[in-house]
Amino acid sequence: MLKPEIIHRLQEIVGKDDVLSAREDLATYSYDGTTNWTGTPEVVVLPRTTEQISEIMKLATRHHIAVTPRGAGTNISGGSVPTRGGIVLCTVKMNRVLDINKTNLTAMVEPGVVLQDFNNMLAKENLFYPPDPQSFLGCTMGGTIAENSGGPLCVKYGVTKHYVLGLEVVLPSGYVMKVGGSTVKNRTGYDLVPLFTGSEGTLGVITRITLRLIPRPAARRTLMAIFDDMTLAGAVVSSILGAGIVPAKIEFVDNFVIRRIEEKMKIGLPVDAKTMLLIDVDGSEAAVESEAERILELLKEGGARIARRAKDETEAALYWKARSAGFAAIYSAARTVIAEDVTVPRDRLSEYIQRLDEISRKSGFPIVLIGHAGDGNIHPSVSTDSTDKEDLERLEDTLTAIFEMALELGGTLSGEHGIGLEKKRLLSRALDPMAIDAMRKIKAIFDPDNIMNPDKIWENA
Amino acid sequence: MSRKEFTQISRVARELEQCMKCGFCAYVCPVYQEEKTEASLARGKNELVKLLVSGELEINRELADRLYKCTGCMTCTTNCPARAEIPRIVVAARADIAGEMGMRFPYGLIYRQVLAKRGVMGLALAVASRLQGVLMPRTSGTLRHMPDFVSAFGKGRRIPSVARKFLRRQVPEVTPAAGRRTLRVGYFSGCMNEFVSPEIGRRTIGLLARRGVEVVFPRAQGCCGAAVFLGAGDFETARKMADRNAAAFEGLDYVVTDCATCACALTEYAHFLADTPEREEAYARFSGKVRHVASFLVDVLGAADFRAPALLDGKKVTWHDPCHLNRHLGVREQPRRILESLDGVRYVEMPEADRCCGMGGQFNLLHYELSMKIAKRKSESIEAADADIVVTACPGCQLQLADSASRLDKPQRVMSLMDVIE
Repeated sequence: MLKPEIIHRLQEIVGKDDVLSAREDLATYSYDGTTNWTGTPEVVVLPRTTEQISEIMKLATRHHIAVTPRGAGTNISGGSVPTRGGIVLCTVKMNRVLDINKTNLTAMVEPGVVLQDFNNMLAKENLFYPPDPQSFLGCTMGGTIAENSGGPLCVKYGVTKHYVLGLEVVLPSGYVMKVGGSTVKNRTGYDLVPLFTGSEGTLGVITRITLRLIPRPAARRTLMAIFDDMTLAGAVVSSILGAGIVPAKIEFVDNFVIRRIEEKMKIGLPVDAKTMLLIDVDGSEAAVESEAERILELLKEGGARIARRAKDETEAALYWKARSAGFAAIYSAARTVIAEDVTVPRDRLSEYIQRLDEISRKSGFPIVLIGHAGDGNIHPSVSTDSTDKEDLERLEDTLTAIFEMALELGGTLSGEHGIGLEKKRLLSRALDPMAIDAMRKIKAIFDPDNIMNPDKIWENA
Repeated sequence: MSRKEFTQISRVARELEQCMKCGFCAYVCPVYQEEKTEASLARGKNELVKLLVSGELEINRELADRLYKCTGCMTCTTNCPARAEIPRIVVAARADIAGEMGMRFPYGLIYRQVLAKRGVMGLALAVASRLQGVLMPRTSGTLRHMPDFVSAFGKGRRIPSVARKFLRRQVPEVTPAAGRRTLRVGYFSGCMNEFVSPEIGRRTIGLLARRGVEVVFPRAQGCCGAAVFLGAGDFETARKMADRNAAAFEGLDYVVTDCATCACALTEYAHFLADTPEREEAYARFSGKVRHVASFLVDVLGAADFRAPALLDGKKVTWHDPCHLNRHLGVREQPRRILESLDGVRYVEMPEADRCCGMGGQFNLLHYELSMKIAKRKSESIEAADADIVVTACPGCQLQLADSASRLDKPQRVMSLMDVIE
């Protein structure tokens, strides 16, 4: 239990209303978007300024109190779940967009700005910030930086780290450090911006973010293709990229998801189809037209049963809505659903799909596939209704098998969700031991007392 | 602590597992948008109820306060990828909380002793109407749903005048259809039209009769019970109300009301209040006949031509979707079709027309400042539409919109749908 004087001091720092300590409030900061990771904080603070965060960190350091920073808690790695009680530092009340600069093509935001709100503001200025984690309706900018989030658009536009130019970070000592700046080019010493981007809240609290923007693409087309064979769909993705075309999105859903979508939305998808690919191309009007044509050819050559373009925005929106409903369909289908995040090189997709099918058959667990085919990040979701301990252990083994297979194909443990608590047991197998050692040493430089989101990323941290 | 029986929560136990904690509700929840705390969010409330069931939390004031901080607007459900109906879980939890803790003074007293008995309520309001001019400045066009009337005294709200003559003393029990009778429907007045704006009730009855409908006004009808069971979770009292209303409307083709909240509450009887097979059957039969007047006119009568009274000539009107009508009952296009059909009136759609106004019945009484913050955003939408008149079909919304317009010093008039058609 935190001493009453700590709570009192926090109240002095941020004001009484922004300190939550009732059990009923603490309980609601005990989870994130994952199914099973929980941990209850001893106090929740909702600061409104960098100075307040600095004071909170000084207090935490002085008293060795663990601090778990978070935004909206939409992450799916366990990363914002407090494991040692302590303070949850929630930045949702720091939600101002400080600047949108149309001529420098940059924006400066506070960490609590919700991604969708930011997108709406940019749309009015005809500007575009591509990273599109599918939690955009809830997730905050600070969270997306800390998780280095990605989404469907990353095939063409890259992930969050490709857009962060500068950060203001409060270190555990309370020191307010600025890294990077507001220029696209910046070659001044070691680049610490991408270090904090994706640091999962283990190094400091992000309090201000400068982002690179791009002009909104003038035109967009949505294409849809149906395949009777999943591996053919995987091969087509490689052939599209191999033809020198980089679509904005290439999304993959399997038969299970198609059936569930059709059940709920009735948009006329063939329920016997093994795979649906949804592809967006964007850019200038002329470019999207010729790219769309070429992709349709490639889809047909690659064995698509149906390949066509959405006839208008309404139809396109319907397809994308179906796609975004896909995950919910999976999650509501079984008691335990674990969405894996392994990512493989894009030229190994059809092999990857085939091997997942083998793993599923061998283990007996259904594996559902939905995700970002264009960047090799098709999430295999493993599910079971069993609560039997033995079955759940076998489930863990299946996940390990998936991970090992992805690694064999030259892939990685996590494409976009991060390590957090969910994947740390596998980290040592995904990274060079020297690299892990270097990371731990970096952590110790910024957070010598290990109070900043402890227990995340590494085992025995 | 020992595991308790949660009678109502256990009926929605499956629903509790629907939430996958994605947190998308944050973007649409009007309460969270102001409060920014997890407990104000659907996801947080679902978790609180789960922890109550598992025994990690117990029923107390702190828990109750958080579960009452929901307007019941259902926006979370509409936007939920898993379609989790968390507002229904909240209502069920309120019922179990009310069962154990009783209700907060003065609500318990009002609900059991006043609302449940129409005669007592009429008397109380008659007295109140005499005192109103003495106790506070008499204003017009503000206050909720009668259920909460008495408890609203002394909280600085603008309260509308209680009618000198209640609706049941102004209209006959049976109003014959003009011309050939096509249908025979019961008119459910709701407390607002009965006691505060009987002229709306008269207009609705008159309009229906002119369209060939015989309108019965059963004298035995009472309060719909929305505030009692959806708001406060007092299912026991609400069952008495539901029994009486279901019986009062036996043998009629439809039950038509011009109050969105009443329409919603009446259709929810079976879901929340049926505790025996007999009630299940009776409530389902009754609820199946309930129509909001906008839906009755457009969907049942197929009416497409409406006239506006002269005072609307040349005016620009906009529509505010009551949550109870739009998200709860799915009536969205019908009122717009009616307004668009009015000659000499220009209809404009406001941005976020379906966003909750922040009233939520008892929510407004328990969290007035918060409720007004939510109303402020609605007021900005209305301003963006640049309309002369905001039309809606829920006395609760109407009070809220008028109250916030007067607080924020806005020029728009707020009118009921039944005020603007003839």
